[in-house]
Amino acid sequence: MSEFNPHSLDEDEFLEEVHSVDFWFHAVDGYLRDRTYGRIEGASHPDLDDTDRDNLITTLCNYCIGETAALEASSGLISIAPNRHSKIFLATQVVDEARHLEVFLRRLRDLGVEDPESEISVRANPHLVAFKDRLMELVAGHDWDAAVFAQNVVLETMEYTAFRAHMSTADPATAEVLDGVVKDERRHLGFGENDLGRRLMAMPEKRQRLAEIRRELDNLVLATFEEVQDSLGADRSRRVDLGSEYLDAIERLGLT
Amino acid sequence: MADFLSQYSIQRWLEMCPQGYLEDTVYGHSPELKEPDIVVDNELLREESIRTTVQLVVGERCALAASSGLVNAAPDFPSKRFLATQTLDEARHVEICTRRLFDLGVKEEDLESTIDDFVNPNLVKFAEVLLEKVSDGDFIAGVVGQNIVLEGMAFSVFEMLEAVSKQGNPKFAETLSGTIADERRHVGFGENRIGSLIREHPERKADVEKMQAEMTYHMLATFSDSFRGNRAAVEETRAIAVAEGAEADTAEWHGTDLASASPEDMEAVLADTVLGEFKTRLNRIGLEYQSPPVPA
Repeated sequence: MSEFNPHSLDEDEFLEEVHSVDFWFHAVDGYLRDRTYGRIEGASHPDLDDTDRDNLITTLCNYCIGETAALEASSGLISIAPNRHSKIFLATQVVDEARHLEVFLRRLRDLGVEDPESEISVRANPHLVAFKDRLMELVAGHDWDAAVFAQNVVLETMEYTAFRAHMSTADPATAEVLDGVVKDERRHLGFGENDLGRRLMAMPEKRQRLAEIRRELDNLVLATFEEVQDSLGADRSRRVDLGSEYLDAIERLGLT
Repeated sequence: MADFLSQYSIQRWLEMCPQGYLEDTVYGHSPELKEPDIVVDNELLREESIRTTVQLVVGERCALAASSGLVNAAPDFPSKRFLATQTLDEARHVEICTRRLFDLGVKEEDLESTIDDFVNPNLVKFAEVLLEKVSDGDFIAGVVGQNIVLEGMAFSVFEMLEAVSKQGNPKFAETLSGTIADERRHVGFGENRIGSLIREHPERKADVEKMQAEMTYHMLATFSDSFRGNRAAVEETRAIAVAEGAEADTAEWHGTDLASASPEDMEAVLADTVLGEFKTRLNRIGLEYQSPPVPA
């Protein structure tokens, strides 16, 4: 029997299928079934030295800020979503984002952080906090196009870029956790690209507004990358150029 | 509190729900099951099934809007996390109930107009009372309205419909069974989380009890319309369904045989059951049930 390919469906059937809870159940089952809190059961990994552990705590605290933003924004977007497919998709995203927060908080506890919430506020990058505030402003203003762009394109691209780069250098336990998260983010990014692509085709005049939002948010994303890498003490000449990777990824989407 | 909230992790939800009682289902039921031919082919039965399902869609849309809207108002991460799972549960309920409308022959392009035509206006008012609290960011009232009142009502309505459908419409009964399992979890959260918040904020009791009375008023009016307003259709529908085997010969629920009970008796057993549950659950969280005026 040939494998089911949702891209063979017409547009309405595609949305009905791909933005369904049933589709989500099957999608996450493939990579979460044998994992507990994002970790492969029974796997044990060596402890980190103090510097690596402290750097990882800083990184994870900032991941938690990004995921909290995504959880609050995606849940807030449900009430303003223009159709039932989008509402259903966003509901699956809400639980994904809550899971990401859960697995990162769990990892922080594994690393010995007893009160992750306090630690997060101490180590929060101010540009990332500003990004979160701006995103929530767009959601509260019921600005669907701008909020979906900020969340499902800009934030998701930022996270995707950072998580993928981190996966290649992370300790095995953190890499396992990031692996499942990255797979979710790809789905979220797909929704943003698809929804906005469709709307921009019907209303090209919206492109200008998204370009303005992008200019504003790009600065916060790039500043976040720089400052977090500075705080980790990474040698500038040996850093992964997250900013360029992020800008290239956003540009490739062709939405602005 | 921490111990009880740890029971509501995403990990546990994944194991219990998609990897548990929903495993191997498609839109909430076994893949081989479908709506019985009699329900789809008989116009009266089909219309009554659409009418019933529309109320479920509207109730579940309200629950989706409320649970997602409450995530931002939740005072702690464990509550946000639970509400995230509830958001997905409610979206799934919207999806499977909508899917049932399509299975009953409603066309995608007619979905919203069908809902507008069949929805009970009292149910809309019921939803509006709750969603006003949610949009005000009132977490305590929102959770009581959603997880005690709305879910308490839905739980009993689903149980009743499941009892009626078990024999004649296993597809619908299975769909309801998974939904009931979800609702049980939601009601449990409401009771456990809000009890401590009410103790911390006793000044909120009067306002929350007022909301409960208002919601109860609209709920009872919805029940009254559903059972009595279309009595002829209900009785004829039930007679056809029993004759054609699409409904149980007997369907015992809370001491009443739903297959032979009059619409008034069915309304009475549903209202008594739901109100009994309200009283018990509200009492557990330190609130006193407020009787609404009896609907005209």
